[in-house]
Amino acid sequence: MFNYNFRWNQALSSLPQMLEGALVTIEIAVLSMAIGITVAILLTLFRLSGSRPLSAIATTWVEIARNTPALFQIYMVHFGLGGFGIHLSPYLSLLIGIAFNNAGYLTENFRGALKAIPETQTRAARSLGMSPIQAFQNVILPQMLRISFLPMTNQMVWAILMTSLGAVVAMNTDLYGVTSELNARTFRTFELFAIAAVIFYVITKAITLSARLLAARLFRY
Amino acid sequence: MFDTALTANDLVFLAKGAGMTLLVTASSVFFGTILGILFGVIRYQIGPWWATPMTLVLDVFRSIPLLIQLVLANAFITTVLGLRISGFAVACGVLSLYTAAYCAEIVRGGIEAVPQTLRRAARSLGMTWGQDMTYVVLPLATRVALPSWIGLALGVMKDSALVYIVQVVELLKSTQILITRLQEPLFLLMICGLFYFLISFPIARFGGYLEKRWSND
Amino acid sequence: MKTSVFAAGLLAATALALPAQADKLDDIIASGTLRCAVVLDFPPMGSRDASNNPVGFDVDYCNDLAAALGVTAEIVETTFPERIPSLMSGRVDIAVASTSDTLERAKTVGFTIPYYSFENAVVANEKIEMSTWEDMKGKVVGATAGTYEAIWLEGKVKEWGEGEFRPYQTQADVFLALSQGQLDATVATVEVSQANVKSGNYPGIKIVDKTPMVPDYVALITLREEYGLINYMNLFINQQVRTGRYNELYKKWVGDGEPASLIVEGVYR
Repeated sequence: MFNYNFRWNQALSSLPQMLEGALVTIEIAVLSMAIGITVAILLTLFRLSGSRPLSAIATTWVEIARNTPALFQIYMVHFGLGGFGIHLSPYLSLLIGIAFNNAGYLTENFRGALKAIPETQTRAARSLGMSPIQAFQNVILPQMLRISFLPMTNQMVWAILMTSLGAVVAMNTDLYGVTSELNARTFRTFELFAIAAVIFYVITKAITLSARLLAARLFRY
Repeated sequence: MFDTALTANDLVFLAKGAGMTLLVTASSVFFGTILGILFGVIRYQIGPWWATPMTLVLDVFRSIPLLIQLVLANAFITTVLGLRISGFAVACGVLSLYTAAYCAEIVRGGIEAVPQTLRRAARSLGMTWGQDMTYVVLPLATRVALPSWIGLALGVMKDSALVYIVQVVELLKSTQILITRLQEPLFLLMICGLFYFLISFPIARFGGYLEKRWSND
Repeated sequence: MKTSVFAAGLLAATALALPAQADKLDDIIASGTLRCAVVLDFPPMGSRDASNNPVGFDVDYCNDLAAALGVTAEIVETTFPERIPSLMSGRVDIAVASTSDTLERAKTVGFTIPYYSFENAVVANEKIEMSTWEDMKGKVVGATAGTYEAIWLEGKVKEWGEGEFRPYQTQADVFLALSQGQLDATVATVEVSQANVKSGNYPGIKIVDKTPMVPDYVALITLREEYGLINYMNLFINQQVRTGRYNELYKKWVGDGEPASLIVEGVYR
């Protein structure tokens, strides 16, 4: 049945390179989440500000990010902006593409989280003499982040999985890019990608588990 | 307004790519939902402990990039097993399992949302398990699950852009082919993005509307 | 009685145990279709015309081979990185896709004798100051993932220790990035470079210099164990040269100049 010679040692000898690639993958995902969360908080503020143009910017961003494929977004960042003369390295294109996507989804998550926080909190904070920004920063934001913790973890896992799309913008230092290059040289497709799949699984499970542990510590009551 | 070399022929070519996207999405969502309902019900019935093996396997589909799943499935089926299958079949197969993995969770969540009291009342009225499922659980669970399911279906449509890796010429790949010939990347990418947006946005909004209407606020 | 039954059974078993050894050549003729992998973003060897149909030197070559076998040709579009995987997975029977005959690849697929030969040149963005191939040192360069030029270029970038190498997924992406200025230079065959510069599709690129690589011989590929098919294709390529069809296709698709000589002087033509 198996008319195929498995050459596992050939694939396993490339394991160090793939692990280096895995580090780059994690790095991109973490950075894109950091940027994504920051932008999402900003967009949430835009929405809360009540100003029409700012709200529109936030809504446009969210709707584009959530209604078009991530692959399309990453391709656009590299080649679309390139048409305007803005040159971004593959690393940056991938990072910005994923961050754009993250920001959109996270803003939506934050919106859902805000609905669970009663209005009375803001009013109480304001009546204590806090400015709107202070009220948001000290009272609303922590609660919002806490409620959104699980969706944010999911988004982080998504970010890790999205790094595999970097191949279309010539990204060859993340885990998928390294595996792809090795494949182009040796054609051991099944062995190489099976190992890559295992590494991805381990990374995502590690993230989910550590998030759960973190949640148990942070949100103890 | 636009000075472009795009011909009617090219629009037809793009339309074919769009058709392929929709076909792959529809097939995968169809089979994936059926499988998902099956897995979801089984998981609910036999309880979390016994269902652990199944949960673990389904979890794999959500923890590995879809690109790798497609490449791996393709390599395994064609090179290792030596079967001759079209890229389209591999794409639909992988996407269906991917959909099923998420759908099982959605279905389970939907079933759990039906109050136990209602179900016990149905059984004590003499309904069989099957009747209970069909007449009591199905309507109520669907209300809870439908918005998430719509989100999942739209997600699959967006992820269908990845099937280019198994040589299925869908919309994004068709756009890239035209960009090669016509050299108008921005314009063509806008059209491509617009297509995804025009399909996804109204349906997503509709899902949001349903969610609001059916929620208990 | 028992021995004769036993003998009859043995005879029947041997008859069943010797299946007709049908190899791929027989399979192709029997099935009536020859599936060729062709790369279609590589003019003039493979590209699409205004109605998005496949045309090119490789496309014609595949059609010629199918005609010789008495079957119909089916052009299966592939990208450069996908040529060999599509062959291994049985999606195509052969690849007429300008595959350079490297030893590394020969571990996995079977090569015929060369059917064409390329020289490679450096194509750079017009704004970059370059006069020889060595000026690529320290610049941002790229090529199509998995091709002969890409492997050579990546090796050179590692050797120089400076500069950056980017492997794009398709030839078209490479030239798009080049004309947008995201790449400073790339290495591509002279034919492709000239075709792309001439077409005007990629404004702002220029050909700089030839690279010091040995001529890039490309061959048809199929599965390593299909000796019957490989021998047939070898003879076919030879006949293409003998009958003048090779020159004819060169004039049609590449144009000026003389095609590289594929003749072994004084030995075989």
